[in-house]
Amino acid sequence: MRGRRLLGLATIVVLLAAWELAARAGGNVYVPPPSQIAVTFVHEWFSPQFGQEAVPSIWRLLAGFVIATIVGVALGVAIGVSDALYRTLDPVLQVLRALPPTAVIPVGILLLGIGDSMKVAVIVFGAVWPILVNSVDGARSVSSERLDTARNFGFSRLETIVAVTFPSALPQIFAGLRVGLALAFIMIVISEMVGGSNGLGYAILSAQRTFSIPEMYAGIVLLAILGYGLNALFTLLERRVLAWHLGSTAVTR
Amino acid sequence: MTNGAVAARRDRVLEVVDLQKRYGAGTLAIERISLDVCRGEFVSIVGPSGAGKTTLLKTICGLLAPTSGRVLLDDKLVTAPPPEMVLVFQDYARSLFPWLTVTANVAFPLRKKRLGAGEKASLVLEAIDAVGLTAFAGHYPWQLSGGMQQRVAIARAVAFRPEILLLDEPFASVDALTRADLEDLTLRLRAEFGITMLLVTHDIDEAVYLSDRVFVLSPPPSVIVREIAVPLSQPREQERTRSDAAFLALRNEIHRLIGQHPERTPAP
Repeated sequence: MRGRRLLGLATIVVLLAAWELAARAGGNVYVPPPSQIAVTFVHEWFSPQFGQEAVPSIWRLLAGFVIATIVGVALGVAIGVSDALYRTLDPVLQVLRALPPTAVIPVGILLLGIGDSMKVAVIVFGAVWPILVNSVDGARSVSSERLDTARNFGFSRLETIVAVTFPSALPQIFAGLRVGLALAFIMIVISEMVGGSNGLGYAILSAQRTFSIPEMYAGIVLLAILGYGLNALFTLLERRVLAWHLGSTAVTR
Repeated sequence: MTNGAVAARRDRVLEVVDLQKRYGAGTLAIERISLDVCRGEFVSIVGPSGAGKTTLLKTICGLLAPTSGRVLLDDKLVTAPPPEMVLVFQDYARSLFPWLTVTANVAFPLRKKRLGAGEKASLVLEAIDAVGLTAFAGHYPWQLSGGMQQRVAIARAVAFRPEILLLDEPFASVDALTRADLEDLTLRLRAEFGITMLLVTHDIDEAVYLSDRVFVLSPPPSVIVREIAVPLSQPREQERTRSDAAFLALRNEIHRLIGQHPERTPAP
C-alpha cells in the first residue's frame, strides 16, 4: 500500500520535473515553469484573496450540492417507490439528464441575474440528475423479499421506505452523489466564468484576460487541490456510511 | 364425529377455504386449495417445482390477495399480513438487511411492537440464543455462512413471537449437513416456543421427517392431491426416523403421488 502510494507520488514529481525542464528550455511565456507557478500560488492564495475568491466558490458549491442531494434523493426515492410517478416522470427525467447542464446557464442568467442565486441554481441543475436517477434506480431495485418482510411485520408504506428502501438504495445513491459532486464542481467554475464578479472561475478568467499567466495557473492549481480534497472527503464519508456494503461486496467477490 | 375430530376442530388455528389464485387476468397458479392447520402442529405442503408453493404461502400470509376463496386465522378473515403469522423466505440473502448487525436484524420487527426497551432486548437475546448465534450477535449477515444467515432470519421471525411460522423452502439453499441441522433446529423451536409450523418444500423426505401431516400438491394449476398423516414417533431423530420402515413407506407413497422416481429432487 505504502509502496504504491510512493510510486504515484513519484510519477507526479517526474511529470513536474519534465514540465519544469521543458518550460525553461522552450521559453513559451504562456507556459511558465511549475516553480514560478508555485511561488505565485503561495503569494496569491495564502492571502486575503483566498477569502474573496475561493471561499465564495466553495460556499456556492456546497450549497448547490446539498440542495441537489436533498431534492434528488427525496424526489428520486418517491419516484422509485411509486409506479405511477415513475411512468409519468421517467421520460422527462431521461430527456433532462441528457441535456448538457451548461446549456441552462443563459436561462439562469436571464431569470436570476448573475448573482449567487443563479450560480447555486445552475449547480443544483447540473448535480441533481445523476443523484435523482440513481435514487430512482436504487429505490426500484430493492428485493421483493425485503419489502415483503417489512410488510409482513406490519410496517406501513412510509415506515418501509424509511427503514428498508432508503438504506437498500444507499449504495446507488452514493454512486449518484459522486457523479453529482463532479458536475457541481464543473458548474461552479463555468458559471463564475460566464457571469460573475468573484469566485475562482472568475479569478482564473480575469487573470488570463490581463495576461497574468502565472496567476491563471495558480488558480487552476487551487481548483485541482480543492477538487482532490472534496473527493477525498466524499470517499471518507462513503466508507463510513457504506461500510456494510463495501464489506458485503468484498465477501461475495 | 369422533371425540378426536371435535378436539382437532376446536384447536384449528388456520383454515384455507377454496383458495384460488390467478396472476392478473392470465396464468392460473392455484386452482383450488383447502387445508387446515391445528395449534402446535407441523404441517408440510409438498409439491413439484413450479407448483405455486410460494404463491400459496404469500396468499395465506396476506401478502397477496386471493382471486377467490378465503384464509381464516383463529376464525378471522385474513386481508392483510396479521402479526400472528411470519413468513421465512428461502433466500435469506435477499430478506436480511445487510446494513444491520445480527442483533439489529432480529430486533427489526420489534420496532412495531409496543414493548419496553428491556423487554425487546430480552426477546432479541432469547431468539438469538435459541438459534445458537449468541457469539455472532455483533456480526453482519454477510460475515456469516448461508446456514447461519438462515438462522438469523429464523431468529428474527421467532423474536416477533408469531403463532404460526410459514416456511418457504427455508433449507433449499444450504448444504445437506447444514440442512439437517436447520431441520432439527426448527423442531426444537417448535417445542420450545410452541410455534405452529407450516412448511412448503419440494423435498419429500424433509416433509415427512418434520411433519405431523403432509399435503401433496399437483403441478400447476395446483390442487391438493392427498392429505397424509405422519404417525412417526416423537421426537424425530435424523438417522433413526429416516431409516424407520414407516418413514420409507410414507415417502414412497408421496413419490408415487407426485409421479417421480424415489430420488431426492435436486434443488432449483
